[in-house]
Amino acid sequence: MKRANFRRGLRAWWYIVLFFLYAPLAIVVLFSFNSTRTYSTFQGFSLEWYFKLFANETIVSAIYNSLTLAIVSSILATVLGAVLGYGMFRYRHLKLGWLIWFIYLPLVMPDIVYGISQMTFFVQIHEATGLLKPGLLTMIIAHISFQIPFVALLVYSRLLQLDPLLFEATQDLYATPWQRAWYFIIPTLQAALISAFFLSFTLSIDDFVISFFTAGPESTTLPIFIWSAIKKGITPEINAISTLMIGAVFTAAAISYAIQRARLASNPSRK
Amino acid sequence: MTNSETMQAEAAEAEAKRQTDKPPDPYAEVRRNATGGKPREASAISLRGVQKHFPGGVVALEHIDLEIEAGEFFTLLGPSGCGKTTLLRILAGLEDATGGAVAVGGQDILRTPAHRRSVNTVFQSYALFPHLNVRDNIGFGLRMRGVDRDECQRRVDETAKFIKISDLIDRDVAQLSGGQKQRVALARALINEPDLLLLDEPLSALDAGLRSQLQVELSQTQQRLGMTFVFVTHDQQEAMVMSDRIAVMNDGRIQQVGPPEDIYERPANLFVARFMGHTNLFPVERTGDGSLDTPLGSLTGCGDCIGSHVLIRPETIELLPPEEAGDNRFRARILDRLYRGAFAEYQLECGDTRIAAIVSNRGQRQYDPGEHVALTVDSSGLVFLDE
Amino acid sequence: MSSLLAKRKSASGPGHWGQTTHLLGTIAPGILWIVFFLVLPSFYLMSIAFMSNGPYGLPELPLTLQSFRELAGFGFLGWSPGNLYTLARSVWQTLIATVLVILIAYPLAYYISTQPASRRPLMLLIVVVPSWTNQVIRAFGWMNIMSPDAPLSDLAASAGLISSEMGLFPSNFAVVLGLVYNFLPFMVLPLYASFERLDGEIVQAAHDLYARPINVFRHSILPQTLPGLMAGTVLVSIPAFGMYVIPELLGGGKSMMVGNLVASQFAEASNWPLGAAAALIMILATLGGLMVLRRLGQRLGGGKEVVL
Repeated sequence: MKRANFRRGLRAWWYIVLFFLYAPLAIVVLFSFNSTRTYSTFQGFSLEWYFKLFANETIVSAIYNSLTLAIVSSILATVLGAVLGYGMFRYRHLKLGWLIWFIYLPLVMPDIVYGISQMTFFVQIHEATGLLKPGLLTMIIAHISFQIPFVALLVYSRLLQLDPLLFEATQDLYATPWQRAWYFIIPTLQAALISAFFLSFTLSIDDFVISFFTAGPESTTLPIFIWSAIKKGITPEINAISTLMIGAVFTAAAISYAIQRARLASNPSRK
Repeated sequence: MTNSETMQAEAAEAEAKRQTDKPPDPYAEVRRNATGGKPREASAISLRGVQKHFPGGVVALEHIDLEIEAGEFFTLLGPSGCGKTTLLRILAGLEDATGGAVAVGGQDILRTPAHRRSVNTVFQSYALFPHLNVRDNIGFGLRMRGVDRDECQRRVDETAKFIKISDLIDRDVAQLSGGQKQRVALARALINEPDLLLLDEPLSALDAGLRSQLQVELSQTQQRLGMTFVFVTHDQQEAMVMSDRIAVMNDGRIQQVGPPEDIYERPANLFVARFMGHTNLFPVERTGDGSLDTPLGSLTGCGDCIGSHVLIRPETIELLPPEEAGDNRFRARILDRLYRGAFAEYQLECGDTRIAAIVSNRGQRQYDPGEHVALTVDSSGLVFLDE
Repeated sequence: MSSLLAKRKSASGPGHWGQTTHLLGTIAPGILWIVFFLVLPSFYLMSIAFMSNGPYGLPELPLTLQSFRELAGFGFLGWSPGNLYTLARSVWQTLIATVLVILIAYPLAYYISTQPASRRPLMLLIVVVPSWTNQVIRAFGWMNIMSPDAPLSDLAASAGLISSEMGLFPSNFAVVLGLVYNFLPFMVLPLYASFERLDGEIVQAAHDLYARPINVFRHSILPQTLPGLMAGTVLVSIPAFGMYVIPELLGGGKSMMVGNLVASQFAEASNWPLGAAAALIMILATLGGLMVLRRLGQRLGGGKEVVL
């Protein structure tokens, strides 16, 4: 009896927390379809705000900037981070532990300190040399710096799980170092590299603070646009853009879940 | 077609027929299948003064000299940490020697990187590539050397047939059992027709039944291919069953090299004797009258023997009724008798000393625990040893 | 002699030079990137903390500790505790938020771990997905909910908690709520991992030994989930302390945290050295917090390996 109550309580808790987690997002989505500007009541369904949205060139270019930033930085960070992770693994006997501290640094440093240190640095460099004008380039650089550690650690931990004899087996079977990289390391790390790329991508899309401080006037991304819009005053258009981003995230989540499911179903031995 | 041409053709046909009628080399076919059609000569291996010093003063190998003959099944036997695996890795090129020379088929290979050596290894954990299926695992070495896809396919099929794993060829590595993995690892190494095949305790992860089956298979495979195998193990039974010759190693040195019978029956020193499982080892002291003083009593009839210890192999001991006293006969009490089918193993006590004896169960009198016997030592079967 | 010769040969043998280039080729690009674009800027920022404030808010020589004095509240107008309040508030709000997150996440993680294995990944995904949306959007959602005319504010007003024309934000309450919302998944995931590994036999043994469920919890369940709890605490409290967006959107001037103090010195107030000094204190506090948690983790016997 007592036990059943306990179970029921837990289940209720699960639904309460779900409500808590989804209410703010649901409100945003709901009011993006509201036909009036109030927040207290839902007056009627309308797509008015979406039409206004796509008529706004700033928003379209913000979407473009966000995607460029995320894709370019994730690709470069995956390459740089994977090579670093491999190096850390390969030369782990050389007592490179202190390197790990460099790698942990961006993981531990508060976003705001990170963003501001990048900003001050880029501003100084720009003043001294004229290079690295704040804009998409500086944002990409800043994003890569915080993505590299995640990628490197992911690749490093995957390599640690492998039988070290596998590396020797490739040598034993006549693979030159390049062949080893191409026919063994990259295929073996394929899953890790893909998830590293998606992790980098999510980190980049999710980031606001670092982008905000390294951005230039031309390189507004969606979160920055939303931020400055909120600062000017809450408007239904913000609901509409936010809904688009929420929709994108949920679609991505659903796809990744479906892929995982399919893989598990097709190959039960791999897991 | 002219007459002479016809005759020539007939002659060629007859010649071909004669050749096929000739009693075939029983293993030519399998050898050709396993090696892609070109049977080749096995290679001899020669190690001279090979040493390995690790930084920090740890000596893994101390001046190893070895001659391994072409087509030999050669075993490196020793306890863990004796340097046998290090030696194997030096042969494979996975570890650099700090000194010495290694020649395979007369050519020095120490400066050749692992991926250019015609040496392949069956690893202890098998090290099958998890991202490839069985077929691609076996074909990996050929692909790396630029053999084209069709040729590779054909040879993989042949080798798989030879190792009897054709039915596994499209499986994922994760779906294989331990014994199957071992066979795939063997096929993956053999297909490259190496001058030298190295096996690093490839059977140690398997259970006892499968293990003895694969011991037989492995040595048969080696005989059929005539390839040079160097096998590493810490199991003296396994070494004796499989090897043409054994090198017993300890502390980075070779203690003894020889065929299994030599190693077992005439161990070169106390370490080898103990490692081969001998327990009847007793210190000896030479007395003034030429006899030898042992814990059992005084031994005679071996005047020119030198050594601080004597080994009395249990199968050379005879048990006689206690009243038949004489030279090299000692009064002993039976502590225990273990029935082993063809023979019986006795534990005896002679004074304060324990000794084991193995006696055939055919035509011999059996004794029960508590009985006294005259333990008879055959002085010609004694082995004298030093530390 | 011959061994000496052999040693020299092997040291200069093939592959040695190649190995060094390989080492540099793999380690150097990533490390140089991080050093140049991350470590160097951080050191530069820290060095700004020891410079004087120039006329346009940009740092100048000579070196001075003036910024730290200002940070402690000694301005032209005498001493004011504003900055210290901000620091204390940051610590306090982080603490409250972390405790609340633990209280919410613990039963939730347990509940998920009791579900059929096939359903668990989906449940975890459901918990995590909201945190994949941008944090600005999430904070904005709460602004909608807590705005003056929205039902939640009306409810609070009718209960007499706030006056009717005011919303629930900006307030300390809104900031803590935002922090809890933001970091909940970071606690659920490691806790779930601990629950999944929970040894049922130990729990069963504890049931046999102790009559009261509270003792079963204390002596068998809690110790086994401690590693997850510690990991979650690190993942929640460290970034919560450095939070910028949530206090900025959901809190006002009276709910500022250190992150906002830092940012405001680089934006509106234009006093880089003061902002840098605050940033330095923030980094030190973060490292100090990590150290404390690590110690605590070791003391409690849980997860050395999980707390960094």
